[in-house]
Amino acid sequence: MSVVCDGNPPKAMQTSHTHTPQNAVSAQELSQEIKSFISGVDSVQGRKLSVREHARCAVRLLRSVPACRGAVLEHLRGVYDEHVSAFLHHLETEGDGSAGVSSNLEDIIQEVHGVLSEFIRLNPRAWAPLVSAWAVDLLGQMSSKHAGRRATPHSSSLNELLQLWMSCAATRSLMEAYSQCLAAMLAWCPDACVDALLDTSVQHSPHFDWVVAHIGSAFPGTIISRVLACGLKDFCSHGSKDPLLAPAGGGDKGSRVPKIGSVVGILGHLAAHHSESIRKELLRMFQESLNPSGPLSPSSSASSWENSPQLRRSAVPFLLQLAALSPTLLGAVSAELVELLRPPVLLQLQALLLGLPREELENMLGLAVHLISQSPTGGARVLRFLADTATPASVIISGPTPSPLDGVREACDRLLQMLLLHLHKLVYNRPDGTEGMGGAHHSAQPQRAIPFLEELQAHVGELCAETLRLERKRHLWLHQLLCLLSVYGGPSVSTEALCQLLAQARNPEELALAWQLHTPLSACLPGLIPAAVGRCVAQIHTHTLGPRQLRQLLLNLAAAVQSQDEERRGAGPAAQASMAAQVGGAVSGHLHDLCPLLLHGDPAVSHAAARLLSASPLPRRAAAPAHLLQLCRAAVAHFFVALRRRGESGAGRDGGQAAEAAGCSALLLRRLAAYSSLALKAVLQQLVEGALHKGNAELFGGRIADMAGDTPLSPSLTPDLGASLLDTNCRFGSAVNFSGSVWSVFHAGVIGKGLKVRAAKPPHDPATVVQNTQTLLAVTVQCCSSSALNGGGGGADGSQRHPSADPDEPPPPINAEAAKVVAMTLVENVCPDVANGELSWPPEEHARTTVERDIHIRRCFEAHPVLFPLLQVAAAGRPALCYCSAVLRGLLATLLAHWEASREALATDSPWHLQASCLLVSCMGEGQLLPPVLGNVHEAFPYLTPFEVRLLLLALWEYVRGNGPMPQKFVFSPDKGLFCRDFSRDGDVARYVAPIHSVLHKNIDRLGHLCWRFQL
Amino acid sequence: MGDIRQSLLPRDVLSAAKELLYHLDIYICNLVQSGRQPPQVDTKTLELVEEFILHSPKDRNIQPRRMSALQELQLLEIMCSCFQEQSRDAVRQLMFSALFSLQGNQADESRMALLSKLVSMSVAVGRVPILECAATWLQRTHRAYCVRLARVLVDDYCSLVPGSVSTLQNIHSSSPRFCCQFITAVTTLYDLTTEDLTPPLELLQMIVSWLQDDPHLVLITLLNTPLSGSQPISSLDLTPLGGLVRWCVKAPLAYRRDKKQVLTNGTSDNETEAGPLFSTLHLSVLQVLMLLPSILNEKGLFGRLALLQLETLATLTSDLSRLLDQADKHAHGPSSDAHALSQLVLDRLAQALQVALANGALLCSREDLRAICSRLPHNNLLQLVMSGPVMYYNNIHTPPMAFSPHSPIATHQPLAPHPASHPSQYPAQPFMSAMPFPYRPNH
Repeated sequence: MSVVCDGNPPKAMQTSHTHTPQNAVSAQELSQEIKSFISGVDSVQGRKLSVREHARCAVRLLRSVPACRGAVLEHLRGVYDEHVSAFLHHLETEGDGSAGVSSNLEDIIQEVHGVLSEFIRLNPRAWAPLVSAWAVDLLGQMSSKHAGRRATPHSSSLNELLQLWMSCAATRSLMEAYSQCLAAMLAWCPDACVDALLDTSVQHSPHFDWVVAHIGSAFPGTIISRVLACGLKDFCSHGSKDPLLAPAGGGDKGSRVPKIGSVVGILGHLAAHHSESIRKELLRMFQESLNPSGPLSPSSSASSWENSPQLRRSAVPFLLQLAALSPTLLGAVSAELVELLRPPVLLQLQALLLGLPREELENMLGLAVHLISQSPTGGARVLRFLADTATPASVIISGPTPSPLDGVREACDRLLQMLLLHLHKLVYNRPDGTEGMGGAHHSAQPQRAIPFLEELQAHVGELCAETLRLERKRHLWLHQLLCLLSVYGGPSVSTEALCQLLAQARNPEELALAWQLHTPLSACLPGLIPAAVGRCVAQIHTHTLGPRQLRQLLLNLAAAVQSQDEERRGAGPAAQASMAAQVGGAVSGHLHDLCPLLLHGDPAVSHAAARLLSASPLPRRAAAPAHLLQLCRAAVAHFFVALRRRGESGAGRDGGQAAEAAGCSALLLRRLAAYSSLALKAVLQQLVEGALHKGNAELFGGRIADMAGDTPLSPSLTPDLGASLLDTNCRFGSAVNFSGSVWSVFHAGVIGKGLKVRAAKPPHDPATVVQNTQTLLAVTVQCCSSSALNGGGGGADGSQRHPSADPDEPPPPINAEAAKVVAMTLVENVCPDVANGELSWPPEEHARTTVERDIHIRRCFEAHPVLFPLLQVAAAGRPALCYCSAVLRGLLATLLAHWEASREALATDSPWHLQASCLLVSCMGEGQLLPPVLGNVHEAFPYLTPFEVRLLLLALWEYVRGNGPMPQKFVFSPDKGLFCRDFSRDGDVARYVAPIHSVLHKNIDRLGHLCWRFQL
Repeated sequence: MGDIRQSLLPRDVLSAAKELLYHLDIYICNLVQSGRQPPQVDTKTLELVEEFILHSPKDRNIQPRRMSALQELQLLEIMCSCFQEQSRDAVRQLMFSALFSLQGNQADESRMALLSKLVSMSVAVGRVPILECAATWLQRTHRAYCVRLARVLVDDYCSLVPGSVSTLQNIHSSSPRFCCQFITAVTTLYDLTTEDLTPPLELLQMIVSWLQDDPHLVLITLLNTPLSGSQPISSLDLTPLGGLVRWCVKAPLAYRRDKKQVLTNGTSDNETEAGPLFSTLHLSVLQVLMLLPSILNEKGLFGRLALLQLETLATLTSDLSRLLDQADKHAHGPSSDAHALSQLVLDRLAQALQVALANGALLCSREDLRAICSRLPHNNLLQLVMSGPVMYYNNIHTPPMAFSPHSPIATHQPLAPHPASHPSQYPAQPFMSAMPFPYRPNH
């Protein structure tokens, strides 16, 4: 009985007794109040209630008569509405001052708001659903009703709208009340709350957006997930056979607007500030829809969609649908989604989708394809993912049992193919197709953008690289995509793609991809190849390519050009024909851009450049002289470089390459020479100069040190003898070099220190020297004998009538003009003093005045053995040798001096001089400076004494003095194709032959066999 | 009366309803005056009510008209004054039943909604006649609907509008009959099984104060109702005693469960406030039980009318044993707190049983008691009650326990033969205790 004996009356009871409303109203009064409220007339005083009094009355009823709440809220709608009207009216007639003051109901609004918020605070469960529904409905109604007013901004300017409504006491109060309700209801039934919001949003579509935006930004986390959950539920209940599922996307929103529309709208608003949370929510939804093991996250208990298998199954279609309706959302998810699609997830996804009917799957597939093609970012990643997943596993990994991933792979394969198909349709069906490329953009209608391709345009390089890997199916897909991308992107993209392929292909199969890409594009993109080549050249100029790439690019271009030649022989496929020709043409336009590459530091690059240049046709139209000269200079320089490399690299693979490089270089030179007379002259000049250049001299067995009279030795090589430049100048009077002139002085060393030390450099390998010399001569001869001057045909013809093309035919004669160039260049290089000097010879005694010059000339010949062969070339191209007259004379003078001074028993004791004498004479004979009788005289030299040699040489001198070496003495004989000199017109030879005969007689024992050579 | 339909049709919603009410009043007056027994409202009229007052669709083609909340309030106000002004009780009753007797059709929903609002409003503005009619309605209607009405009132006055409990409290003075029926409905509604079905504190306070003021209150229906033996099936109990006993006994356990949930939030004033209240309520219930013998004797029903059904008690005890088991399990070992609580529960049960048994509210044998209490844990008092008055075993006329000085022993009538044999003779209340509660509001 302890219960009963409690004693104290419970505290709560006392409070219940004392707890009466502050203004306790009797039942009678309440009845009166209700009457007043209903009639709007003060039932006691019998006068009409003002709006304010009426509202106060309503509030009192709200506080005391629960049954009246519906009516009271309904009445308050009117009050709120009135206030909004007054507010807007006030705004519209702002200038009037007193307007709006009379009906200012702000205090009563405040009062109502106070009461409501107190109720919600005290008993959220009872009041929040009621008030939230009321507030949302009222807000929607008012937003719609006043949307057309002058003071209200257009519904598209959300921020202004928000500002306007939030500055109005009524709407602000409603908004606050709703927020309060929502905050209270989130704990236990958020779905209902958001449902109401969504319903109203649908009903008052654009005008209500500001409410949703405001609420959403106040409760981003919850609103987003609820909105999604509501949308999903709605979608699930009647969304599956929605027409919107068609890839066309949002075509008809006719009779029934599903909630998904407003979901998209709301999320779109929130995306501005809360895109991160939206993204998270979407991804979370996706992930949880895949999780078969029920809800994982604590928040999921609130929205219970995860528990329904049906809802979970439609989550993926729902998300796809959402994305299709809103590019913003698509952009938010697409990038991250791919990261989530790891193999286990894919398996789950597959398992989930297996349950769907076929038709729906088809729809989803179409939708997915549509989405991918519309996705503005992450396209590259999506593509890589698709390709990775769809690529069949390698043979090693896939066992005998079909892996579960096979299904996923096939699906991806299918998706990819559909994507390609879809893109194909999009690309080729665009309005105002790609024909408008060539500047004919007369239609202002913008082409429909395909975001996926737009984005991929930036990844052309990667695509090309991947394509070139030639991985089974993958490269086919990617290649197709590249095609589409090229067509879509127009010239810039296609050029880029082609350029990339050209630069990255490493073998013919890979290179073939480039042509395969070109073939479909050539139809719609004219001028693609020139553009691509131009772009390549631009890349070369900007040094964006590494040496390896550069080399590859050049080689690929060369291969392309060469395929033209092959095709011309009927070997190549017809498809490549036009393309090869185009490439050739394009390259020929850029020769001068490519020629610096000949001198690239990397041998491989320069070699590749040589190959390209040698293969490519020369420009059909006359090239600019500057370009041509540049090209020639580069080609010749490369020639010498190639020779040097060939010498250095020896045998082996490098050697082979170097030899090939030299061959290419020679070919290039030949073709250049054949191109035009200008080019020919330039090439020959450069060749001769280069051969004599001290850097190259050693290639041809030359010894620089022999020219030491002109080039002081480097201090490091010689011990410092204490000789300073100052000293030298003091001692010799002047630093001015008078070499070659009559007055010049020369010295062979510092007096007292003996002769200058000769730098003893190891001579070049003779075989190499011979080979180099041969190569040089071959090139020179081929250049000289090309028909550029004779035929006057274009470069193409020249390359066609290639000397080496037909070995049976006798080589064409050396062109006189070419030979003249060689001769002139030679003179200039050997002894510039005598260039363009007098051709006729003075008496032999006069040679004394030119001793130093002659010595210089002799030294030059000593230093450059290659001079003799070059002289021979000049001699062969009569009458070119005439122009070498001064040099010949100088050399002859020194030889005469030598033989005169020689005290040797036999001429063979001075081998160089003997050889020089022989060569000199034979040259002059060949060049028809001497009649044949005299030209044969050198055959006897080896058997003679120095003095006798001198006698004979002197006789030659006399002849030349008497019969000057004038070019005009030569006439062209058309039957031989050569210039010839008619010696009969000259004076009697006999008198010059006499010393020969004397010498013959004297040495008849040894020279008997030569007698016939000197018959007149 | 059916002929006025054509004239009502073109009217707007409110005036049609008003006019119909007016005609209904006249019609019923005539009916009563005609003296036909029993006065019966014909079907045509009921249909008119459904069409023009309750706005249930007469046929599917016509879109039902709806009243706005304001119009509804006007209608309610008119009804209030209409009932207020009608002086004849019979007319009022007939009218009320014409309007609000459940017909088992689809109009019942709007009927219930309108009724709830009307009663709620009458409570506020103190319309006694309506409350009286409502009390009658509560007696005659299936309990499922009764608890709905009660729920609306509790929601309105105990939770929706703060500070309005006092208004509801006043019905005690204005209409005790309604008050009594209200308590019965409320105790039926809130059976303490879930948190949602636990009475709000305000309600509890109110009922306690009512009972403290006037213990007779709960017996008013019993006192005022002539026992015709034709109680409608599944109507509310005659008295709220059964429900109140259940409240008192189960409360410690129920509120303890609440406390557990509340503790996580850090506040648990509910239990501290409700505990003493239930204690007080228990005392009041016991006191009411002790009032019974005189009243029952007066009506000649002592030992023939079981106000507490054995089946109800059996349900209660089985609930208790389950709850106590759960409490034990949750307690994780012997906890003095849990033990004290269960002892309190069993003490109250034993007290109630004993007092009810002694005062003729419960008609059963000790064996029956033992049977229904067999699964309960041990409790000294309960043991004592079940074993019966050993020391007075020979003198059956002596009351078993003389525990209250106020209770006049002499007034007790001898119970001969044993009460347990009687209920079969007097089927007092056809209450089907085993019936599931289909009407519990599902949340």
